[in-house]
Amino acid sequence: MIDTNVYMPIKSNIMEIIQHTDVEYTFRMAYKGEVKPGQFFEVSIPKYGECPISVSGIGEEFIDFTIRRVGKVTDELHKFKVGDIFFIRGPYGNGFHMDDYKNKEVIIVAGGSGLAPVKGIIDIIHQQPKDYEGFNLLVGFKSPDDILFKEELKIWNEDLKLILTVDGAKEDYRGKVGLVTQYVDDIIIKNMDNVAIIIVGPPMMMKFTVEAFLKRGVACENIWVSYERKMHCGIGKCGHCRMDDTYICLDGPVFNFSKAKHLYD
Amino acid sequence: MDINTKKVTKNAYRITKQRYKTALRVRVPGGRLKAEYLEILQKIADEYGDGDLHLTTRQGFEITGIDMDKIDEVNAIIQPVIEGLEINQINPNTGYTAAGTRNICACIGNRVCPKAQYETSGFAKRIEQAIFPNDFHVKVALTGCPNDCIKVRMHDFGIIGMTLPQYDKQRCVSCGRCVEKCTKLSTGALTMENYKVTREHDKCIGCGECVLNCPTNAWTRNEEKFYRLAIMGRTGKKNPRLAEDFILWIDEDSIIKIIKNTYDYIGEYIDRSLPKEHIGYIVDRTGFIEYKKWALKDVELSPMAKVASNIYWGGIRY
Amino acid sequence: MKIEISKEDFNKSLHRLGDEYRIYAPVAMAYKGTFSDTDSIRYKEINTLDEIEFNLKSHFSPKEVILPITQVLFYFTEDQYKEPETEKKKLLVFLRACDIHAVKRMDQIYLENGQRDPYYQEVRDTVKFVLIGCEKSYRNCFCVSMGTNKTEDYSLGIKPVGDQVLLDIKDEELNAYFFGEEKDFEMNYVTSNDIKVLIPEPHQIAKDIAEAPLWREYDERCVACGKCNFVCSTCTCFRMQDIFYKDNENNGERRRVWASCQVDGYTDMAGGHSFRKRHGDRMRYKVLHKVYDYNKRFGYHMCVGCGRCDDACPQYISFSTCVNKLHDLGKEER
Repeated sequence: MIDTNVYMPIKSNIMEIIQHTDVEYTFRMAYKGEVKPGQFFEVSIPKYGECPISVSGIGEEFIDFTIRRVGKVTDELHKFKVGDIFFIRGPYGNGFHMDDYKNKEVIIVAGGSGLAPVKGIIDIIHQQPKDYEGFNLLVGFKSPDDILFKEELKIWNEDLKLILTVDGAKEDYRGKVGLVTQYVDDIIIKNMDNVAIIIVGPPMMMKFTVEAFLKRGVACENIWVSYERKMHCGIGKCGHCRMDDTYICLDGPVFNFSKAKHLYD
Repeated sequence: MDINTKKVTKNAYRITKQRYKTALRVRVPGGRLKAEYLEILQKIADEYGDGDLHLTTRQGFEITGIDMDKIDEVNAIIQPVIEGLEINQINPNTGYTAAGTRNICACIGNRVCPKAQYETSGFAKRIEQAIFPNDFHVKVALTGCPNDCIKVRMHDFGIIGMTLPQYDKQRCVSCGRCVEKCTKLSTGALTMENYKVTREHDKCIGCGECVLNCPTNAWTRNEEKFYRLAIMGRTGKKNPRLAEDFILWIDEDSIIKIIKNTYDYIGEYIDRSLPKEHIGYIVDRTGFIEYKKWALKDVELSPMAKVASNIYWGGIRY
Repeated sequence: MKIEISKEDFNKSLHRLGDEYRIYAPVAMAYKGTFSDTDSIRYKEINTLDEIEFNLKSHFSPKEVILPITQVLFYFTEDQYKEPETEKKKLLVFLRACDIHAVKRMDQIYLENGQRDPYYQEVRDTVKFVLIGCEKSYRNCFCVSMGTNKTEDYSLGIKPVGDQVLLDIKDEELNAYFFGEEKDFEMNYVTSNDIKVLIPEPHQIAKDIAEAPLWREYDERCVACGKCNFVCSTCTCFRMQDIFYKDNENNGERRRVWASCQVDGYTDMAGGHSFRKRHGDRMRYKVLHKVYDYNKRFGYHMCVGCGRCDDACPQYISFSTCVNKLHDLGKEER
C-alpha cells in the first residue's frame, strides 16, 4: 500500500477500566501523542467493526474512552479486560480549542454521556483555574443511577462551582432534580461579553440549553457545541456525518454556535 | 333445416338457445392480435350477426346471432383472421378445424409487464402450433410470474414463469431491499448474513422481486428460462380444484413435449362412451403415477428440474 | 496526435495493451437488465472494440471501476490487520465527457477532503481515460447546463467510423501502441440537451430551505431504494463492514461498500438515533449536495448532468425537474 494507510489502526493496551454504571465504562488506554479534548478516535475490534468514541481524559501516556454499551461493537468492547487490546485510529476532529476560553468566564453544560467529551476541558481548567475568569459546571443525568464520573464529581464539587441535577429520581434522592435548562438561570454571569459557554449532550438538551443562554443575552459567538453524527470513517470520505457543506468529522465535532446554528441535517 | 350439431360444434360454432342461430368463437392464442383483424370481426358481426361481440373468458371473441345457414360464408370471411393468428387448419376457408382443446390463454407477459419472466404470447403460440387442431378437452394457460394474473391454476396445464436469480456478492451493498421485498411480497427465501444475502433455493419461487428491486444489479436473471408447471386444475360441476405443482424449474421444450405426451395418454385412456371426458377426470381414474409415466415419456429434463413424486389434489367435493 | 486506424489494427493494439492494462468499457450485458429479456449496460473488462456499447448511455457509471462497489480494506487474523494484495495491472477506462468530469469529484473527496484515501489513490494513479465522444444527447442528459459536455482531460479520444477508428492520442505512452495514418478530426460532443437545468445561485437558496414544502412531495413518491445514488457517477459514500468467516471465526475482513443517503440506516448512530427519517428530507439532502452544498465547500457543482438518476428512478422522480423547481423557488423568494 502506498504511503501510510489512514484506515490502519494501532494497537492500544487497556490500562484500567472504571465502571460508572451498568452500561458505561471508562477505558484508560495506553497512548502517546497530542490529543485535544473534544476529539475522537475510531475504536475497533476486528470482525465487529469500528465506532467513533470521544476522548474523556487525556494524560501524558494515556487517553480515556468512556463507552456506553449500545450496539454490536460497544457490546463487545465491554467484554474486554485490563491488559487486553483495542485497535484505535485518530485523533479526529477539531476538538475544543482552549485558547478560545482563556481569561473568560467558562460555563460548561453537559448532558449524560456528553460529559465525556468535555471532561478533558474540566480537567484542564481544574488544574489551572487562574487562566480563566471563572468556571461553572452544570451537569445533568437521567437518574441517579446514570451518573458518570462520580469520583470526579465529588472532587469538582469541592473545588468548583458545580450544579449536578438528574431528570428524575425516587423520593429519597437528596440531590437536585430537574432538567439542566431549569438551572441555567442559577448561574451567575458577571460579564455577558466575556463568557464562553460549552454545551454538549443529546440533541434536544443542546437545543434547549442553547436557547436558554441566548434568552439570557449571551451572543451566539460565545457559545460552543459539539455535534454527534455518524462519524463512520473519521476522515471526510464516507459522507455519513455531513451536514450541508460541513463534515462533522473534519470541521467539527466542536462548533461555535454562530456556525452551528446554520447547520441542518 | 338439417344440420349435424357435432360438426357445427367442432367447427367452433355454438348451438345456442335461439333455434337456427349460432355463434362463432374466434380464438386469440396468447391473447394478443393485430388490431386490424377487428375490422373483419366487425364485418361479420354487422353483416351476419346481431352487431355484438362478446369477449370470452378465454381471450377470444364470440360473434353472436349468426344464421346457421351462413356458416360457410362466415368461414370464408374469417379466413384471414385464422391465417393471421397462425392457427393450424386442415382445409382453408372451412373455419376452425377443431374446438375441443381450448384457446391457449396468456397474461400480457414481459412485452409489457415488469414482473413477467418471459414472453407469454410467444410461448402460447408455440404450444398452439404443437397441439392444434385437437378434439380433446384440454385447457392451457401461461402466466409471466407467480402473481398468476391469468389464473393458470384453474387450468389443466398452468405455466408460470420463473427466473433463477444470480447473485454477484461483489455488487451487493447490503441495502436489504431484496430481503425485505422477498419477505413481504413473496416467500421469504432470502436472508442477510454477514452483510450478504443467501437464497434458499427450495423456498424460491423465481418471482424475480430480488432482481426487480436490486439497486445495484447485484441480482440478475439467468439467461435460461425456467417455468413452474402446475397441472389438472379445473372448474366445473364435479370437483373444482386448483392445479398442483408437477415440475419446478422446467424448460420450455419439456413442457411442450409433456403436453403432447398427454394427448397420447388421453387417446389411450379416454372414456369414449361419454360425449367428452375432461383430462383431469381421466387422471383421477388412472391415478397420477400412470399419467406421469406417459407424460414424461422421452422427456429429458435438466438437472435443475424438480418433479413431484406424487400429487394429491384437493378442491371442492359435493 | 490524431490518427486513423482500422478496427482490426485497433483490436491488435488493445490486445497488446492488455498485457499491461485491464481495459474497462460499457458493455450491453444480455439478460442482465432489471426486467426480463433486457440488457444491463455497465462496465466490464473487454478485449475488443466490438464488445463496447457506443450507442447507448450506460446504466451504471464507470465509477465502479475506480471505486469498487465492495472493496476489502483489511484481512484479519487473531490480532493482525493485513492489507490486501495490490493489483499489478494498470487501468484503461472508456467513458464519456460527463463521467470524466465526475472523476474530478471523486478525486476531490478521496484525495483532497481530509487525508488521502490510500486505496483510491492506488487505483487512481494507474488509470488512463479513453474518451467516447457523444454524437447526440441522450434522454435526461443535461451536461450542457452543468458545463460537463466537453473535456480535454483524457489520454485517448476514440471515434469509431465504419470499419475505421479515429484516435486522438494525448498520452505519449499510448503512441507506442497505436500506429496509423495521421488524420485530423474533432471529437464529438453535444452542444445542447433537451433537458436544461437552471441552478439557483447560493444566495437564492433560503436559509430555511429544509422547511420548504417542495420536499414534502417526495415523502410519498420516493421509495428510498437508492438507485439514484448507485447509478450516480459522483456519489462517493461508503460504509464499512466487519465480518468473520463462517468456517474460521478467528479470521475475517473489514471491507467497504457503497452507501446511499436515500437508503434506511445511512445516519443511524449506535444507540438508535437517526436523522432525515422522511424520504423528502433525504431527497433534499441529495439534491442540495449536488447543486449547492458541495459547491459551497469546493467551488463547483458536484452534479455532472449525466441524468442516470432520472433514467433509473422506478418512481419517475426527476432530479433535473427538482433542481428547476428549486430555482423557481429561489426566484419567488427574492
